[in-house]
Amino acid sequence: MSGPAIEVRGLRRVFRVGGGLLGRDREVVAVDDVSFSVPKGGVLGVVGESGCGKSTLARVILGLLPPTAGEVLVEGQRLDTMDRRARARLIQPVFQDPFASLNPRRRIRDIVAMPLEAQGGIGRREVEARVLEMLGRVGLSAEQAGRYPAQLSGGQRQRVAIARALVLRPRIVICDEPTSALDVSVQAQILNLLAQLRRELDLTLLFISHNLAVVEHVATEVAVMYLGRIVERGEADALFRAPRHPYTRALLASVLTPEPGLGVPDVGLGDILPDPANIPPGCRFHPRCPVAEPRCATDVPQRGAVECLLAAD
Amino acid sequence: MASDRGAPQARSVNRPPPEAKSLLEIEGLRVTFGQTAAVRGASFSVARGETHCVVGESGCGKSVTALAVMDLLVQGAQRSADRLQFGGEDLLTLPAKRMAALRGDRMAMIFQEPMTSLNPAYTIGSQMAEVFTRHRGGGRAAALERAAGLLGRVGITAPGMRLGQFPHQLSGGLRQRVMIAMALMCDPELLIADEPTTALDVTVQAQILRLLAELQRDLGLAILLITHDLGIVARIADKVSVMYAGEVVESGATAPIFAAPSHPYTRGLLRCVPVPGKVKRDELLGSIPGVVPRIPPGFVGCGFRDRCEHAVAGCAAPVPRQNAGGGHEYLCRLAPGWAA
Ligand SMILES: Nc1ncnc2c1ncn2[C@@H]1O[C@H](COP(=O)(O)OP(=O)(O)OP(=O)(O)O)[C@@H](O)[C@H]1O
Ligand SMILES: Nc1ncnc2c1ncn2[C@@H]1O[C@H](COP(=O)(O)OP(=O)(O)OP(=O)(O)O)[C@@H](O)[C@H]1O
Ligand code: SF4
Ligand SMILES: [Mg+2]
Ligand SMILES: [Mg+2]
Repeated sequence: MSGPAIEVRGLRRVFRVGGGLLGRDREVVAVDDVSFSVPKGGVLGVVGESGCGKSTLARVILGLLPPTAGEVLVEGQRLDTMDRRARARLIQPVFQDPFASLNPRRRIRDIVAMPLEAQGGIGRREVEARVLEMLGRVGLSAEQAGRYPAQLSGGQRQRVAIARALVLRPRIVICDEPTSALDVSVQAQILNLLAQLRRELDLTLLFISHNLAVVEHVATEVAVMYLGRIVERGEADALFRAPRHPYTRALLASVLTPEPGLGVPDVGLGDILPDPANIPPGCRFHPRCPVAEPRCATDVPQRGAVECLLAAD
Repeated sequence: MASDRGAPQARSVNRPPPEAKSLLEIEGLRVTFGQTAAVRGASFSVARGETHCVVGESGCGKSVTALAVMDLLVQGAQRSADRLQFGGEDLLTLPAKRMAALRGDRMAMIFQEPMTSLNPAYTIGSQMAEVFTRHRGGGRAAALERAAGLLGRVGITAPGMRLGQFPHQLSGGLRQRVMIAMALMCDPELLIADEPTTALDVTVQAQILRLLAELQRDLGLAILLITHDLGIVARIADKVSVMYAGEVVESGATAPIFAAPSHPYTRGLLRCVPVPGKVKRDELLGSIPGVVPRIPPGFVGCGFRDRCEHAVAGCAAPVPRQNAGGGHEYLCRLAPGWAA
């Protein structure tokens, strides 16, 4: 089948948040009319600051959270019309904190076997063989398969989470900050493992991270999110070479590479942090934008690859 | 280097003699928790006006080192050292009461998660004022005035309004600025910052680090900054101590450490960091196999040997501290120049 692996159209997700005892309920627009597609075999990196809607986007794509509007097509199909087991064979998540997502009372081999058992109709010996094969691929031994999550290091637990996600051989994996809780040395191990598995198993990845250097290393395409919208999207090399949105530029400027003598750059963003329940008029980035002009406070940038009034000039 | 600068504010109490080279001197620091030797003979010093970074993976003893200096270790931890001096005071023999008077006054500390050290039930203003009146006495009004001035100094707009706010009403970046301002209330000589930007967004991290660098320049502060991020180290440290399994395995001025990293651990760590434009997509990053081991008391030999690609049988015996010149040292059997 040709066509994109993931296609997202006009996706919107709103949360209603209680305003406290006397306050009125407020609406948080976590994902605001987002459209994009990821080609088969591609790696889309999604970056942006805390609270910009990355995880919400991931959860809606995975079908874990219904959208308020819009739709998600995974290999051309809507997940909500799909049988749970078929969905599990198609798309799987890997989250930031493997400890929270691994049942502490089950052994590693049973945790990785669960998705296979949930499929039904796979014999015990085959389940066992496939579990051990997958654990081997992620670099865990048969001895470690008998342990409990608490008896493994953070990096080993993330390997377990990856093995569990891949044991059904899904074609698409959504990674939400898979290395953010890990040391650089362990992060490198996990990134290398993901790169190798992606090639061997021909995976499509959506890779969320707040670390631009990590995204630069893994992604073929990058989407920069700000307050629920993708404000810049493009092929990774081009975007890193010539970022066009001022927010993308600030993000790139903030990457502190281990090169002494360069000091810490002035990223030029103010302190006013955005409130997703109160999205600014005009360009939503204008209160923090170092190059904003008066019209940025009133005119809404056209939707497109770079959502900045100045980029359109 | 920066020792000639000195703090601009006149300080009447406990001014150390001018010949004292370093403000903080740590020699042979050891901390054990039962069967875990968390710090095993760490030595380094921090001079006035200098930023000294301690860097290493999770669990290698960075926070315990800082807590040992501040005498804030949990009960049951055992601390010893050959020397532990701060501004002419011997911290090993200093009575607990005088140590408590130093903390928050001449030496202040900020942590990764400001919410753990801010009390959610009190306003920013009353918490900042309390620090000042506890150490320096005086009235609350004067303390609040100083607090407002410092909030402005750390880049917070409308400081008067912020004084009346509660911690949860501020963003993470603002809270960390408040923590820095609070640490400056008593005009400290040493600021210990334990992963002060790890919980923050990258853009906010850059702002906070610039602020720390600027404060240090203007106030002549000595900063001991703990981080696991070699990017931060490269950009703001004057001196570096790389810690591994409770030991300082490599130390020296920042430029030579990055130009000629000599301990296999430092070299391994540097290879793990993805740097835009350096390692091509789908090419493998360098990595260090395994994880930081838990080391029991009485352990002998190089603590890195079970992860080191250069390990030989001799690494199980004590290894020498090699001198690479210009104050650059590392703890390894391999002689200087081996990596060239
Ligand atoms: N279940 C929920 N109920 C109410 N608000 C929510 C819920 N989940 C997310 N939000 C809000 O939606 C916005 C986007 O949150 P989201 O978790 O998607 O951000 P993120 O980009 O993943 O951030 P981070 O980098 O911190 O993980 C935030 O303002 C958040 O507070
Ligand atoms: N209260 C304690 N009781 C027992 N062991 C402890 C205690 N605090 C720390 N340790 C141990 O001491 C060692 C060093 O811990 P430390 O917190 O200094 O690491 P760190 O370098 O600061 O790591 P991180 O980057 O994760 O903060 C670890 O093995 C840790 O488990
Ligand atoms: S002493 Fe041996 S094991 Fe330790 S770092 Fe040097 S070569 Fe490696
Ligand atoms: Mg998230
Ligand atoms: Mg720590």
